[in-house]
Amino acid sequence: MIKQLSVFVQNEIGSLASVTSVLKKHMINLRAIASFDTPEFAILRIVVDQPEKAKELLSENGFAVKMSEAVAVELEDKPGELDGMLHVIADAGIGINYIYSIVLRNGKAPLIILNTDDLSKTSRVLKEKGYIVAEQEDLIT
Amino acid sequence: MIWNETKECMSRDEIRLLQSARLRKMVDRVYHNVEFYRKKMQQLGLEPGDIKDIDDLKKLPFTTKDDLRDTYPFGLFAVPMSEVVRIHASSGTTGKATVVGYTRKDIDLWQECVARVLAMAGIGKNDKIQVAYGYGLFTGGLGLHYGAENLGATVIPMSTGNTQKLITMMVDFGVTAIACTPSYLLHIAEVLEETGKIKDIQLKAAICGAEPWTENMRKEIESKLRLKAYDIYGLSEILGPGVAADCDYHCGLHVYEDHFIPEIINPETLEPCKEGETGELVLTTITKEAIPLIRYRTKDLTSITYEKCQCGRTHARISRFKGRSDDMLIIRGVNVFPSQVEAALLEVTETSPHYLLIVDRVNNLDTLEVQVEVEERFFSDEIKELEKLTQKIKNVLQAALGLSVKVTLVEPKTIQRSEGKAKRVIDKRVLI
Repeated sequence: MIKQLSVFVQNEIGSLASVTSVLKKHMINLRAIASFDTPEFAILRIVVDQPEKAKELLSENGFAVKMSEAVAVELEDKPGELDGMLHVIADAGIGINYIYSIVLRNGKAPLIILNTDDLSKTSRVLKEKGYIVAEQEDLIT
Repeated sequence: MIWNETKECMSRDEIRLLQSARLRKMVDRVYHNVEFYRKKMQQLGLEPGDIKDIDDLKKLPFTTKDDLRDTYPFGLFAVPMSEVVRIHASSGTTGKATVVGYTRKDIDLWQECVARVLAMAGIGKNDKIQVAYGYGLFTGGLGLHYGAENLGATVIPMSTGNTQKLITMMVDFGVTAIACTPSYLLHIAEVLEETGKIKDIQLKAAICGAEPWTENMRKEIESKLRLKAYDIYGLSEILGPGVAADCDYHCGLHVYEDHFIPEIINPETLEPCKEGETGELVLTTITKEAIPLIRYRTKDLTSITYEKCQCGRTHARISRFKGRSDDMLIIRGVNVFPSQVEAALLEVTETSPHYLLIVDRVNNLDTLEVQVEVEERFFSDEIKELEKLTQKIKNVLQAALGLSVKVTLVEPKTIQRSEGKAKRVIDKRVLI
């Protein structure tokens, strides 16, 4: 399981940059980023190399931040890989809330990040089927 | 036409005598029937006999909206409930509504006043009038309805909310008059223009009120709809619509002085203002039975003149309102106090008590946006949870205000804090 941060941002010009500038200032490295928007606001989800420190810094800077766990799965870069993994989860009766990815990993396979109704079960069924589920340590370069 | 020439055109001396006689009776009645007033008068060492004519009015204590709240719901009623035939209610400054009651005679006097207003606007029994104020606890709908029936006009009780149906009936029935808020009428005019039906209407008069408007808005309404638009004023505490209205000369609103005594005071010093000087309008009801009020502070800012009007009416005229001496907002005809929003938000634990109201006018309709901060400890990283929270806040506010509201979640600590009185309202409506 890995840690992700969710940040509440208003849907307006410069709001994402205000988050990244806090991270840049403190040399925190982003591993993955995804934003999910509504007309009024967005939730920015990020995976970083130092999640606790990043959460503290963002909170200090007035952002509403929530740290939560997510499942990160290694997938080979070939057609049908994602489809196979999604079927494993569906067959186990688990609902997926959202999904995003880390593509560049210094030669390692891309990671798919998932949030589901049941994270530990997701991680378990994937491991049973031979998928490699990454841990937080795997994200440090 | 003058509906009640005997009363509306009395000489100033006759008005003074009538008001003095009615004031004496009213003070005697409240002293004996309303504990609140008896105590207030006793504290000032006053007895009913000390009030001999209207010059003695200034000796009497003021009444405020807070007094109505403190005696909620019926503490200021001067008759037994068996005599009360109707209840209306409006927004209080906090969660509690301001409740008023009417005896059968009060309803009669109300429909008399509204009939005067309509007659003043040239409306009569041959007219068909659409009442497009809200019906219900709000006094607008039923107030105009009864007045128009009393006049003998054909009343079409549209209420609010269905502009298409209103327009269809306006055209199909050959409606000649309408009563609604001025901003709603401008919206109706726009829809009529867009649908090309503006040439099919037969409106000749509009009775507009329940919100502040300007001479320019009147001109716009009159030129777009080719009708005459009149201003009606009222507040539920005193009566509802029909306390005052303007005539063809549009030189101020005639206050029905045989039922209400107007005073203008400086809201800071509470001293009377000179004729023509702007101050707060204070009204005393001298004929109301169910809930007679002594020197009720309306918080509406205006000035007064006692000069006889060219229309022949002698009742004093108050000028167009210049604003409020408190922070009440009027949004789509509904009174809104920022403190109501604050009280309602306290019910929602997931948000901070910091809020900002943004009032705007889009396509001639008022909009209210309430911005609230997302508290980090309650922040969910799921959009559906945040949308649920938005909906919850929206429901709580709509229930409290009786008005549809747009709720926007904003980042923590982005709503301005200030040392003194926080800025809670941005009113972008420009009344020009």
